[in-house]
Amino acid sequence: MARERYIKLLLMACASLSFLAILLIFIFILRESMPALTKVGFGNLFTSTDWNPDKGSFGILAFLNGTILTTLGGLIIGAPLGVGTAIFLDQVAPKKMATVIRRGIELLAGIPSVVIGWFGLIILVPFIARITNSSGYGIAAASVVLAVMVLPTITALSVETLRSLPIELKEASLAMGATRWQSIRTVLLPAAREGILVAVILGMGRAIGETMAVQMVIGNSRQFTLSLFKPTATLTSRLVTDMGEAPPGVFRSSLFAMALVLLIFAMLLIFSVRMITRKRKA
Amino acid sequence: MIGDGNGNKMRVKNLNMYYGDFKALEDISLNFPSQHITALIGPSGCGKSTLVRCLNRMNDLIEGSHMEGEITLDDENINKSSYDVISLRRRVGMVFQRPNPFPKSIYENVAYGPRLGGIKDKEKLDFIVEDSLKKSALWDEVKKILKESGQKLSGGQQQRLCIARVMAVKPEVILFDEPCSAIDPISTQKIEDLMAELKKNFTMVIVTHNMQQAARVSDYTAFMLVQEQGEPGRIIEFGDTNTMFTNPSDKRTENYITGRFG
Amino acid sequence: MKAGRADRIATIVFWSIGLVSMAILAFIILEIFGRGLVTAVSPSFFAGQPATNQAGGGVGPMIVSSLYLAALTMLISLPVSIGAAIYMAEYAREGKFNNFIRFCLDSLATLPSIVFGIFGLTLFVVTFKWSYCLLAGAFTLALLNLPILLRGAEESIKQVPQTYREASMSLGANRWITIKKVVLPSAMPGVITGTVLPIGRIMGEAAAVIYTTGLFIRAIPLSPFDPAAPLAGYIWYAQTEATVPDYRQIVNGGAAILLILVFLINFSARRFARFYAKRKQLEVKL
Repeated sequence: MARERYIKLLLMACASLSFLAILLIFIFILRESMPALTKVGFGNLFTSTDWNPDKGSFGILAFLNGTILTTLGGLIIGAPLGVGTAIFLDQVAPKKMATVIRRGIELLAGIPSVVIGWFGLIILVPFIARITNSSGYGIAAASVVLAVMVLPTITALSVETLRSLPIELKEASLAMGATRWQSIRTVLLPAAREGILVAVILGMGRAIGETMAVQMVIGNSRQFTLSLFKPTATLTSRLVTDMGEAPPGVFRSSLFAMALVLLIFAMLLIFSVRMITRKRKA
Repeated sequence: MIGDGNGNKMRVKNLNMYYGDFKALEDISLNFPSQHITALIGPSGCGKSTLVRCLNRMNDLIEGSHMEGEITLDDENINKSSYDVISLRRRVGMVFQRPNPFPKSIYENVAYGPRLGGIKDKEKLDFIVEDSLKKSALWDEVKKILKESGQKLSGGQQQRLCIARVMAVKPEVILFDEPCSAIDPISTQKIEDLMAELKKNFTMVIVTHNMQQAARVSDYTAFMLVQEQGEPGRIIEFGDTNTMFTNPSDKRTENYITGRFG
Repeated sequence: MKAGRADRIATIVFWSIGLVSMAILAFIILEIFGRGLVTAVSPSFFAGQPATNQAGGGVGPMIVSSLYLAALTMLISLPVSIGAAIYMAEYAREGKFNNFIRFCLDSLATLPSIVFGIFGLTLFVVTFKWSYCLLAGAFTLALLNLPILLRGAEESIKQVPQTYREASMSLGANRWITIKKVVLPSAMPGVITGTVLPIGRIMGEAAAVIYTTGLFIRAIPLSPFDPAAPLAGYIWYAQTEATVPDYRQIVNGGAAILLILVFLINFSARRFARFYAKRKQLEVKL
């Protein structure tokens, strides 16, 4: 009996490691970003679009803007595609084909982000450059790349939600004489609404955090822009390129402040997912 | 009451059982005479399975469940936290509603219990496995395929394998929780024959929703009922099986066994 | 028949969406293999040493780095995540603690990998003074993969029928013996798929490794404290810095090799799980 208690404690320690990890990450990143938060100041850091570490300007608004716009762009393309694919898999596609496509989507999820980034760099960027007469780098290219990357997440989670709906629901609607589309639109989608919302939010998490693929196609310039076809940067893309060169000090610390923003985004997303699922349970 | 006096393997006295705040059983008092078969009958949801799971404290596995009252095994109260549940369950074996062999070989299924008891000697294990399978009347059918998965057997064979698995632990009491509800009539026949055979050495309790089965196999029968939905299950009548089925003293028992409800 | 027409249009739309998704996948895979496969299969590339400033370099040490890193990461994270999964599936009761752990796991799972990367840099590389090395990368990736590994293992454990546990407990086994002898063996195929699949993710991860293991090496790493350059990180480095004239060819070839590695791992994980299940005559859905 005593032995079982020790084993249980050991297993519980394993489970608690996740808490320890998140706590450590939070403490370290907060500590490292303190110099920037105090010396640059909260206001300057988040409201200035001027990022020029050599001259002592540390405004990250341009990159915050880049992160938000590319994430939105990725979702605008990726979410309908992902949810649509999920409906196709669950409701429309013949069984065999659905299996093949599901495998394909899993495969797509497994493609490393540097590979997708490279694909974007050699195919997508030149293509955009040609049709828009720009450099091709920018928010548009990053959005397409992100759409490809959120597609598997959104599809997989939406399929899961649709599958968990009771079969009676669908049958009831069809038995009333609804067409397949009517039953999808009026019964299935409303019933799956929260689950699909969660899928999109988690897809958003992936888009916000994606680093390498975005860095390769966005141009990574420090300018603030609302244009889809001008080079700019995201928090992650700037973080990954500058980290290697930043000497200890305010420059490096402001990079940690970017990481802190990303961390807070992640927690907020999980929080909202929790709120949604709790409401569904209640 | 039946079996008052000596010769009772197990006794239940003023037992109340709760799942959280919900009272599932109320004021159950019952004796299980040695080397006899006692049947628990009643409509579904009357608490007969819950009661049988009190006898080896399987309900402990359910969060928030607890019991009040006394359950004795050889006159020792088992409903106290100091009582060693592990040894209780080895003395009071259980056969479940659906055959549930482990995804292991037939041999390993039967050897599981003895191995838990610390028996490692190959010859000893071989002997126990063979002996248990013979007792459960399965040996001839499986002696050549002991290494194959227990889950490959037919439903009826699986259930007899589960009985052998219980035998191997050498229990004193065997609880059967609707053992035949998921298997075919021929296998049911075999298991009933087996129970009659095992009666020489074991005290048995069978939960069944099949009244013919209760009449065929048991010596004593308890009829349980939930009066109104949400109320706990109670024992309505307990007596000699023959008397119960031919001349029940309670009107509700009569209604049930003549098929008026349930 | 307006409803009928809407239904037909919707059907066409959904078919197109499904096919577009597949087309994207096919396009990417064909392009990557089309450009890189020839380079990838040439021994002087996949087994060769990388060059610093002239053409003709290979990625041998990078492939070794990736495999080494993956092995090391699994070594660290497997015991911990299976242990945690057992706790969550078998012992933890629904309640505040459980809920809180899930919140932490979800947050870890959503955290960008670059955040793990710079955390690993601060803790392992700088604070522990390990400098860039495989072990720093492995610990970082172990944290990154904890939620995914745990979930995979936990789900397979939960799929083990309750009746097995009941049967075992009714024979007088305690909880831990039941887990060890009945639950874990039955859950194994699922646990294997659930834990091997993330290896593919470890192989493909770049953002979390470049600041923990390092970016460029010439010699094959031997000790866990040696610096390394996993292929995914090196691909990124090669195209960003473009120090060699044939960097395009190197990235093409490297991307193809990376894809092959990832697919191979996913494929063999499934194969193995199916084989194991068959041997145990279990039914698993994969």
